[in-house]
Amino acid sequence: MAVSTRSSFQLKTSFLPCTILQLNRYDLSVLENEIRKTISQAPMFFAGAPVVIDLEKVQDLEGIDFLEMKRLLISNGLVPIGVRGGSETQTKAAGNAALPLLNLSKTTTVVENKKPVEEPEAQVSSTTRFINTPIRSGMQIYAKDGDLIVAAQVSPGAELMADGNIHIYGALRGRAMAGVKGNTEARIFCQTLDAELVSIAGYYLTKEEIQKLPEQNSMIQIYLENDQVTIKPI
Amino acid sequence: MAKIIVVTSGKGGVGKTTTSASLAIGFANRGFKTAVIDFDIGLRNLDLIMGCERRVVYDFVNVIRKEATLNQALIKDKHNKDLSILPASQTRDKDALTTEGVGEVLEELSKTFDYIVCDSPAGIERGAQLAMYYADHAVVVTNPEVSSVRDSDRMLGLLSSKTKRSEEGRDPIKEHLLLTRYCPKRVTRGDMLSLADVNEILAIPLLGVIPESQAVLRASNSGTPVILDQESDAGQAYQDAISRFLGEDVPFRFIEEEKANWLKRMFRFKEKEATA
Repeated sequence: MAVSTRSSFQLKTSFLPCTILQLNRYDLSVLENEIRKTISQAPMFFAGAPVVIDLEKVQDLEGIDFLEMKRLLISNGLVPIGVRGGSETQTKAAGNAALPLLNLSKTTTVVENKKPVEEPEAQVSSTTRFINTPIRSGMQIYAKDGDLIVAAQVSPGAELMADGNIHIYGALRGRAMAGVKGNTEARIFCQTLDAELVSIAGYYLTKEEIQKLPEQNSMIQIYLENDQVTIKPI
Repeated sequence: MAKIIVVTSGKGGVGKTTTSASLAIGFANRGFKTAVIDFDIGLRNLDLIMGCERRVVYDFVNVIRKEATLNQALIKDKHNKDLSILPASQTRDKDALTTEGVGEVLEELSKTFDYIVCDSPAGIERGAQLAMYYADHAVVVTNPEVSSVRDSDRMLGLLSSKTKRSEEGRDPIKEHLLLTRYCPKRVTRGDMLSLADVNEILAIPLLGVIPESQAVLRASNSGTPVILDQESDAGQAYQDAISRFLGEDVPFRFIEEEKANWLKRMFRFKEKEATA
């Protein structure tokens, strides 16, 4: 058996992609909730992702419990590897929790609360997809690069997606996602709103959060206002 | 050219086989040569409902595999000579059916029959998709209950996309809604979806409303499809459905709660006695 004469390891320099968790506020229970929500949108993307905690915006804060924060991140499938941008005391406290100071360049992915994972540039509508048969449960319709017009009802369990706006001349009982490539100007219009989920550019409301509107004859529009999905009769 | 009708639902236990049997007998009794095929390979039931289980020799799969001719496998109905039954195989599974094989059988049946009723299995897998693939009409059987309505809705989506007609861009399948196990009393109480609720979601033409009835179970167990029970409300409702399918304008019955007068109450008492 040939025994290798080379040493058992090599030291190399490498730059690995890594996610920065920028803290805007320090409230562990809120943080945990929001992280859970963000991860549920793209579980595969975040599974086992190395995370650096950015303390720049909470530099003045004292008494951050890094051990608890670390446990929280790990229990959500993330791998905290260090901190950056903190004050001296914060860095020291983090070091005690085995989170070393890392000085990484600042051009990495920013994971901020409630923001969609990826933010590609907004698309301009150019083509329109038109459908005049009912969209049944289990059907999925996508209008690429444009608007989607449905002149029929959308059943529970059906899914509409458009890079532009979605217009439904009928009842919306399924899901509708407008501006799926990040167009925050996209809107959804429908005659009756009983949707399972509505979303504009990744911001969404589930059925539970959609407020019941009183019966009326006008159309309903759904749009984004201050990063909040807003529902109003026209 | 024969009309091919698929009886489908998505959900199991809503009355597909009961409906297939009753529709087939209904067409035959009005003078049309009719064949009814059991597509539920592995869970053969239609022969029991039609009361011909003791005469099954060859089945649908034997015909597709060319182990028997179609005429050897077809069973003449004991009530009506214009009706034939092609039973399913109990020992195989749904993979035994092929698109080409089913197509050949249907084409051969089309030469001699006016109506071909395809009794679809539950679910949305291969068996159900093959049952609907060649159809001209679809009777969607639905119970007034949320899960059944949702499954029927899913089925309607498949009917408009996964059939030969849709693939060839021909006129779409004609869809008919058949609401079964309807109980106006429970609708009034709010336990059951109303006809209007179901219509609002599915939004297809209504072929019939079959009331919840003791007669259906009795008919299944005795192997005489409920449409032959002229006394029963369910049997009459199936007759109405046949008339509507053939283009007659028949008012809907059994959809309102009956205001029971003393005479009716007496009858109901007697009915209970009879079934007890």
